[in-house]
Amino acid sequence: MALLPEEIKPAMQGVIPSDVVTCARDGTPNTTAISQVYYVDADHVALSHQFFNKTVRNVRENPRAAVWLISPKTFDSWDLEVEFERSETSGPVFETMDMQVEAIASMVGMKGIFKLRAADIYRVISVTKNVDERISLGEIADGR
Amino acid sequence: MISDQLVEFLHGPSFLHLGTRDADLRPAHTAAVGAVAHDDRRTVTVFVPAARAGRALEHLRQNGRVALGAGQMSHEAYQFKGTFLSSRPTDEADIARQEAFRLRFLDSLRQGYPEEIARPLSLGFAYRPGVAITFRVEEIFRQTPGPGAGEKLA
Repeated sequence: MALLPEEIKPAMQGVIPSDVVTCARDGTPNTTAISQVYYVDADHVALSHQFFNKTVRNVRENPRAAVWLISPKTFDSWDLEVEFERSETSGPVFETMDMQVEAIASMVGMKGIFKLRAADIYRVISVTKNVDERISLGEIADGR
Repeated sequence: MISDQLVEFLHGPSFLHLGTRDADLRPAHTAAVGAVAHDDRRTVTVFVPAARAGRALEHLRQNGRVALGAGQMSHEAYQFKGTFLSSRPTDEADIARQEAFRLRFLDSLRQGYPEEIARPLSLGFAYRPGVAITFRVEEIFRQTPGPGAGEKLA
């Protein structure tokens, strides 16, 4: 289906943290900041399974998740509806994510704390640019 | 229930993320700009832009379940979970609070980002007209990355 547009890729470089909302089987939502959402292909993203255990537990009970992203270039923000598919602990996606997690950890002073346990692969169900969430760059420049 | 330290933390400046879910347990995210912990230390009001509030309010009126994540540039982070109580349009006092929040948020982001990111990122969140959403806090969790992540604090 190729749901993820090219213009969303800068939001997946780990410059600005993203957020993931999941929901337990008992109906309790959970929100967690994550350092990076990884572009796998035009219909899949990967989230790093490090230490956000409630998110990991929730998606194994209820695979739906909502991901919020923001571009450090255009400052457009996006909502992704996603569904957990599988967890990978080896292979090219895992290896790439592992290197990037290490790099982010070094940059933000969290080396030894950020540690990739698995690459959780999610299928993208929908992509929405949140045009009503952001004030235009022009208005900010005008001092609003 | 909400300690002095957590009141101060919640008042920010923090990234604020509101989590809700629909009747089919499909979760949703709403970005928030500013929050207030009330003197009873059990209720919190969080501000979301009116244009983005519809879905969250629909969820909250259906089932009441809410999670509010707050995280700062230091990576210190907490999550407040509870039950929806009420909503109303933001008033002048709320907007003044949000405008002060935005400026402090900009200052905090300057500690980790160059100006060309810090300024549009912090000031670019829509906030008015807004909706004030109040909920009763029932659980608080530490989310700071590290060994204590996930610890239930209250």
